[in-house]
Amino acid sequence: MLKFIFKKLLLMIPMLILISIIVFFGLQFTGIDPINFMVSPEVLSANAENIEALRESLGLNDPLLIQYFRWLGNCLKGDLGYSFTGAPIVDTIAVRLPYTLELAGYSLVLSTIIGIGIGIISAIRQNGVIDYLGRVFAVLGQAVPQFLVGIILIEIFSIKLGWFPAANRVSPGAANPFLDSVLHLFLPVLTLTIGMVAVLMRYARNTMLDVLNSDYIKTARSKGIPEWKVYLKHGFRNAMKPVLVIIMFRIPMLIGGSVVIESVFSYPGIGLTMTNAITSGDYPVVLATTLIIAATMLICSFLVDVLNALLDPRVRLGE
Amino acid sequence: MKKFLAMLLSAAMTLTMLAACGAPASSGSDASGTPETSGSSETGKTPAASGSDSLQLVLSTTDGSTTDDKVPTPWYNRTLATNMMFRSLFLANSTLTSVKPDLAEYTVSDDSLVYTITMKDGLKWSDGEPLTAEDVVFSIETAQKSATVNAIYTAAFAKIANLAAEGNVITITLSEPYAAMANVLAQFAILPKHCLEGVDPLSIDTDAFWQKPVTSGLYTVDEFKVGNYFTLKPNEHYEGTAPKIQKVTVSFVNDYLTAAQSGIADYLYGNATDLVEAMEKMPNYTATPIDVLFYKYFIFNMKGVDGNENPAMQNVEVRKAVIEAIDRAALATLYPNATILNSGVPNNYEAYNGFEYKYDAATTKANLEKAGYDFEHTFKICYYNNDQTSIDLINTVAYYLQQAGMKVETTLSNDGTTDLFTTRDYDIGFKGKSAFSIDEWYTEYMSTDALFGNIFGGDTAFDASLQKLFAATEEADRNEALKELQALEQEKVYKVPVFTLGNYVFTSDHVKLPEGVEFCNPLYSCDMDFANWEIA
Repeated sequence: MLKFIFKKLLLMIPMLILISIIVFFGLQFTGIDPINFMVSPEVLSANAENIEALRESLGLNDPLLIQYFRWLGNCLKGDLGYSFTGAPIVDTIAVRLPYTLELAGYSLVLSTIIGIGIGIISAIRQNGVIDYLGRVFAVLGQAVPQFLVGIILIEIFSIKLGWFPAANRVSPGAANPFLDSVLHLFLPVLTLTIGMVAVLMRYARNTMLDVLNSDYIKTARSKGIPEWKVYLKHGFRNAMKPVLVIIMFRIPMLIGGSVVIESVFSYPGIGLTMTNAITSGDYPVVLATTLIIAATMLICSFLVDVLNALLDPRVRLGE
Repeated sequence: MKKFLAMLLSAAMTLTMLAACGAPASSGSDASGTPETSGSSETGKTPAASGSDSLQLVLSTTDGSTTDDKVPTPWYNRTLATNMMFRSLFLANSTLTSVKPDLAEYTVSDDSLVYTITMKDGLKWSDGEPLTAEDVVFSIETAQKSATVNAIYTAAFAKIANLAAEGNVITITLSEPYAAMANVLAQFAILPKHCLEGVDPLSIDTDAFWQKPVTSGLYTVDEFKVGNYFTLKPNEHYEGTAPKIQKVTVSFVNDYLTAAQSGIADYLYGNATDLVEAMEKMPNYTATPIDVLFYKYFIFNMKGVDGNENPAMQNVEVRKAVIEAIDRAALATLYPNATILNSGVPNNYEAYNGFEYKYDAATTKANLEKAGYDFEHTFKICYYNNDQTSIDLINTVAYYLQQAGMKVETTLSNDGTTDLFTTRDYDIGFKGKSAFSIDEWYTEYMSTDALFGNIFGGDTAFDASLQKLFAATEEADRNEALKELQALEQEKVYKVPVFTLGNYVFTSDHVKLPEGVEFCNPLYSCDMDFANWEIA
């Protein structure tokens, strides 16, 4: 098992380097000059000498390979460099990442509880009212894009009703910081949760139905085991293994999905930072945030592999 | 029953979506030059900041001009928030064409070469340090070495031959007259030398200073929350009239309209069609149209300074025929406050020479044929504004040209500056320019211009008239220079203005403005009597 884990960990290193190469050179090949985003054409017209000095000071005149290895070397030392706005990227991420993790974390917990709960009830009461409503919700939740859900929620709850703020994570001079946090987080968390509940609900329902139709459940019932015990001890336990894998896979999607949600809600997390960096041509920040999202995906993928191996020994046969 | 429930739920969700997308009741908008009190009705009123005792401002980070991890710097664009914090030597009027004393007063020599500026007594920074002539000299010298400053400062300060301070008097000696110097100095924010002395001018706008800046204006920063907001409180060392509003909150947002609709914006501005239309429907906001020199214009890809020519656009008659094949009046209707232009001088200015580009659908093709246009050539249009109105405008332009028999291809660029001035794979480009003055429009014709030299071939024809314009201190001399420049630009047809795009300032009924206050171009600073603004 240890060998399996070690092998998987080692594989992550070339993957991360490959991703960094793709992102770094991909950004260069767009042909976009970050200086054009930092200063207006009028300034470029009038201030050629100072602009050239700025370009030099940012290292943009160096060959691409040198720029890449300088950046990679610094990353290995824990220095993600400086944003073109002057802030150390590590500091930026230290402020923004907790906001995103908070958003993704609450959504994950809520969606897991609601999604699995409704999924299981739908399976147990197949073709019941909850099952029908759940299926309609699942289709809508997956079909409607998250940004649209976010905009609709803002329109109703912020603009029309005025119950929740439409932007930011904290309000100035909030009398009750806890309540202020809840109010600010409610709509973005709800938006992320709706999408994920839809997926989890369908998956939990289907796997539970498969399990409930299996022979060992019939055997358990024939032995006279109480129905709640059949559902919980035999059904739920076995149905949850593949659902757990799906949940793990949803974590990076939650962080990736927050790019859109944070932009809609002006929520100052890593996703909004990335969007703003793309808009303003701030390559170092785009690189760093992309790598963080990619690393999260790889780590989650690694955890899924380990979890699979733990749950199903056949997975390790290949080692 | 179950299916009925499912259908009912679907219908309810659909109705919710439709309700969310519904527009509030519309109301008329104010069209005067100065703001008027809105006839506010409760119908459709948004949950505005009516319960708040602070003035609520918003800053958008989506256009890349500011970031949400610092206070915006005043050397690039001025915003209302920075105007409240940073003062200049003089205070401009609403048209930005005349000044009155602020931190200082000035006299100018008869030959317009020497400005003697005398600082007021008793000026202090928000940290209690004295604000002196040394700060002024430091600020100007630092701006001269900085890259990310507004071009109006670069152009003006390039004329400074000598800069000296003695006591509270600053002497600026110019190498040649520069008529707009005082107007430019009225925009230029003075920064504290004692805080920024050791900072590299190239990275001055990214220094940690901007998270808790020492200020000279009505307000200073009270609290800064990265990514969320900053708040301002009155500057206790401000020597003038103390402001009536005791707290200002500036929130970083992605979208001004949502901010207004959700009640966190008492003042905002914009010229985008969708924003203006939506804001005019909000009864608790007053819309004030502002005439600004925001040019929307075509540029022809002619010839680089490297000699690389675009053969398709060398014939001036072809360029004229192309422009006259486009109904610019129809294009202007796409925007809420656009005014057609025929030169860099607006048609209602005294210096306008009366020339007009005429559109006549019946003659466009014949004009192009007469000019010798090659109809086999695929005419390429390059533009970079990706908002829907710009896309519609370019599609309309393409339509007109196709009606004239031309083959047309349009390209939406991700990096307009590179594509228009370096890659140059186009015949006509469409761009915008928010100018401080008419002079800025004509500065682009200067043969030494680092960008436009790449498409106008470094033509020196305009240089002498431009020098005359910069030096003209008398109205008559200025008008004469402008007429010369108009004649040249209409003869050469290197770039053609389509219209100027006016701006709108929107103020909520949460704020009460003093009588007679006039707004100026929101990207610059002027006397808005802010000390007398009140929370309603």
